[in-house]
Amino acid sequence: MSESNKENGENPLDIDSNNFNSEMYLECLMKLATLKQVMDKEAEIVKQSQFLQSEMQTLVYENYNKFISATETVRKMRSDFQIMQEEMNKLSENINKITSFSSQISDSLKESGTNVNRLCSTRQLLDKLQFLFLLPSQLNKAISENRYADAVHDYAHAQRVLQKYGNQPSFQSIQSECSEIIFGLKKTLRDRLTDPDTSASELAESVGLLRQLQETDTSLQDIFLSCAESRLDQHLKGLSILVERTDILEWVEKCNNTLLADLGIVISCYHEIFQDKDNTNLPEFGEKVMSQVFQLFEEVVKRPENNGTEILIRGLDKFFRKLQAMSEIISSDTVSQKALDVVIQCVRHKASLQYQSIQSQFKDSLMRVRQTLASKGTESVDLRDILNSLQVYLLQKIQASLLDLKAFLQNNLSFGLKPWCAKAVADSCWTVISETLISLSDMVKKMACLKTSNNIPFELLLILAKLCLELQENGVTTLHNHLIKLLEEAAPGLTVDNKDTNSVMVHLSTAAQSALDSEVVYIGQTAAQMLRVSVLARDWLRAPEPRGPRAVCRRVVETLASADSAASQLFPTSVKPSSDSSRRTIWSRAPSSFSPINRIFSERIEVFSPAGADRGALSNGALKVALKALVECVRLRTFGKHGLQQLQVDVHFLQQRLSCMGNDERLLNALLEDALASAQLRCVDPQLMEPSIVDIICERG
Amino acid sequence: MDEGNSIIYGLEHQTRALSPQYESDAIRFLIGTQSLKPHSNQVHVVELEEDTGALHTKVFKHDIGEIWHLRCSPHDVATLLTTHNSYDPETSQCTMGVSIFKLPTVEVIPKDLDDLSAIQGRNAEEMEHLKTISPEKPEEEIRCAEWHPTDVNRIGIVYENSVIVHDVNTGAALASASPEGKSRLKFTGGKWNPHQGHCQFAVLQDMHIKCYDTRTDCSKPAWSIDNAHRQLARDLDFNPNRQFHLASAGDDAALNIWDYRNGKEPIFSRTDHSHWVWTVRYNTYHEQLLLTGSSDARALLTAAASICDMDEDGRRLSQVLEDGVLQSYEQHEDSVYCAEWSAAEPWTFASLSYDARLVLSRVPRHFKYKILL
Repeated sequence: MSESNKENGENPLDIDSNNFNSEMYLECLMKLATLKQVMDKEAEIVKQSQFLQSEMQTLVYENYNKFISATETVRKMRSDFQIMQEEMNKLSENINKITSFSSQISDSLKESGTNVNRLCSTRQLLDKLQFLFLLPSQLNKAISENRYADAVHDYAHAQRVLQKYGNQPSFQSIQSECSEIIFGLKKTLRDRLTDPDTSASELAESVGLLRQLQETDTSLQDIFLSCAESRLDQHLKGLSILVERTDILEWVEKCNNTLLADLGIVISCYHEIFQDKDNTNLPEFGEKVMSQVFQLFEEVVKRPENNGTEILIRGLDKFFRKLQAMSEIISSDTVSQKALDVVIQCVRHKASLQYQSIQSQFKDSLMRVRQTLASKGTESVDLRDILNSLQVYLLQKIQASLLDLKAFLQNNLSFGLKPWCAKAVADSCWTVISETLISLSDMVKKMACLKTSNNIPFELLLILAKLCLELQENGVTTLHNHLIKLLEEAAPGLTVDNKDTNSVMVHLSTAAQSALDSEVVYIGQTAAQMLRVSVLARDWLRAPEPRGPRAVCRRVVETLASADSAASQLFPTSVKPSSDSSRRTIWSRAPSSFSPINRIFSERIEVFSPAGADRGALSNGALKVALKALVECVRLRTFGKHGLQQLQVDVHFLQQRLSCMGNDERLLNALLEDALASAQLRCVDPQLMEPSIVDIICERG
Repeated sequence: MDEGNSIIYGLEHQTRALSPQYESDAIRFLIGTQSLKPHSNQVHVVELEEDTGALHTKVFKHDIGEIWHLRCSPHDVATLLTTHNSYDPETSQCTMGVSIFKLPTVEVIPKDLDDLSAIQGRNAEEMEHLKTISPEKPEEEIRCAEWHPTDVNRIGIVYENSVIVHDVNTGAALASASPEGKSRLKFTGGKWNPHQGHCQFAVLQDMHIKCYDTRTDCSKPAWSIDNAHRQLARDLDFNPNRQFHLASAGDDAALNIWDYRNGKEPIFSRTDHSHWVWTVRYNTYHEQLLLTGSSDARALLTAAASICDMDEDGRRLSQVLEDGVLQSYEQHEDSVYCAEWSAAEPWTFASLSYDARLVLSRVPRHFKYKILL
């Protein structure tokens, strides 16, 4: 049965279920179970009912007890509440009483409370007043203890009150006293500003305080800057003294550490304090200081002990680095531009040193050449050698100085690879080349100037002329190419404008020309002078019969020949016209018929004319000068028969000896012919000798 | 002639002496010939007829010898002074002298047919010989003789080694100046200083210019310009208007102008000739025009406006002419030893070359207008 109960809870047959149907259960039980089982079942159910009955009784019993105790409790509570009610009533009564009392008390205390309040506020006021009255002494004390900041703070505190009540007579005195003190303070602060010993931070503090004391900004800025300037001035003075004493490295070090560092502090302080948007004063100030620095630096650079390229470049590098930093701080275009200028200036300075030294060295070597020429005869000196050594010397010097200048382009330098620097170096290199060559030209021109040429050996003039010509033809282009190659190595990719080689060449060629002209005139004049003196001094009227050419003719020929041989060492010999006519004697054309007609057919002879750069032209020039002088001098004299014949011998001798020189024999003959014709005109008894006798006399001579 | 076409006049003998005729309204020049042949020397008077451009000449005999130097008198139109040289075959020696002549007539342009035929025949006329002054030593050479600018009776004669002022009438030496000691540097020529009271005589001594005071005998110059030229100095001329300016020319082919108060450096210098410069002349009316003659067979007209065109403080008054050669006259074929401005007409000048050719030329018209306007 229990199984069936378990199987189905809803089972109406389950006795414990709510759907239990006793009828069905009985029916089902009757049908299914045996009697015995029914009997058992009955017994069991009875038993169970009994058990349930007793259990129910127990429960009732228990609950009943609980109910009773609860009832009792409720009863007890009812009685307690009553007491409570009474108590509460009493309490409310008491509270009411207290309330009334307290209002009474508060009424009575109100008056004294307001009194106390008034007293408190009075006291505060009195405190303030005391502060005010004590302010002067406080200020004095603070100032005397150098607590300027406190003093300024106090004063700023009191300032408002004083301003508010300043019209009260009692405050007026305080205010005036305070003003005085503050005035003094300001003065102290200003003094401190101008005091050179104040440090930069103290300076900033002072300026800050003054600003709090409502000094106007511009005047403060002025003061700040002026006192900063005075401090910087001291540095400048120190540096300017150092210029004399130290080398550039030390100087730059010192300058960077003192002056430029301080300038940086000053500028940053200025920005901090004033936050000046316009920045009107500062760049000007910075530029002013920097310009002085630059000036000093220039002096330093110019000191001869700083001429070494290495030291100069290192110093410049240091300086330039600092300057770049500085120009950012100063934020002035002028300063940064000036920094570039400083480098460029240095390059130029170096270049000018270079060419000056080249120039002076070249002058020295010229002096040596002059000595060599003076000490030896012309024959023993190889002019070509001298020329070569001078030329090589000059070119080497120039190339060396170009190399030296190239050091400015080293890429570890702060300015080394900048295009502007490269340009400056390129320009300076070219300056070295062109200045050297131009000054060489000028020197040659000056030496060639006739007034000074008296002491200059003509060989030197020839050498210099040739030197100028060679430089003009090759040297300039060689150096220019060399320069371009150097720059290509140092700064690849840098484009250098082609330099104006032409003007240099023009200088050189004009110098060469004037040297040649001078040489020609010098030789010509020397010979002319000999001829002039000899013609003018001789008594031609009463001269003895000629025995040979006069000695002066030999000397003239020697002079001209030595110049010719010197020229031949240096200048090419152009092809000489055939000298068949040299055998022709001059007087074959009857010279007695001296008439203008002869001259119409001969070309005009320019005596002092530009000399050509070859041996023949040079000798020709000298010949012209000498022989034209002979013609003119002959015309000033009067000749006797023998005088004329003597001149005939001289002329013949000259013609023989000189016809190998020069490149224009017609000219030589024309001049000699002219001399002889003039002598015939000036002769009282014009009888010439037989040409054969003249020949013999000349041979014998 | 105005357009550079110069008028040429030829003589038979070599010539070295030329002088304009002063105190006359006509453009006249006197030329002296130089020939060693006896009785062949002449003085030619050449007149340029301004209107027609025709040349008229008259010839006078100068039998006393070849003429080295000739000066017309600034005081009398007909009087002239020649420095001459003659050869004496007997002693076979040359003698020099200075003579004063008077022309019988100053008129050159023929008035009637007789005159014309006489001139066409070129018959040399006689001059009136007034005086000859001979050197103390017969063989002493005379360089030149110059009329005193104001004193009719005085002439200055430059000898080789001294300058002597002579009285014209007696020939007596009034004053002499000779360099100290036995200087070997001979005189080349000289001139009176037209300023300074007409008592200074400037001489050329080799490369130097020395000026002596003729009021007394002296051996020291009143002033000098040492090394005025790098070679021999050949000629000098005083600026007619500026009392301290003078021009000099020499064998260095240079024309230099000096302020002789400071004779270190010339205030103007040009080297335009290509040989010795033998003569230099200031234009009497326009001091910026200078005429030079040289043995390069050229006469050059040079402007030195920059130094003449200044007031006392050295400011430039106007920009009239560029300095330098205005015109080169190349009609000569031999050395030009003489060049002279006409005394009557400021724009005409004559140049004389050794080959006996006189060239009369005029300042080109555009320069003339530039100066005048």
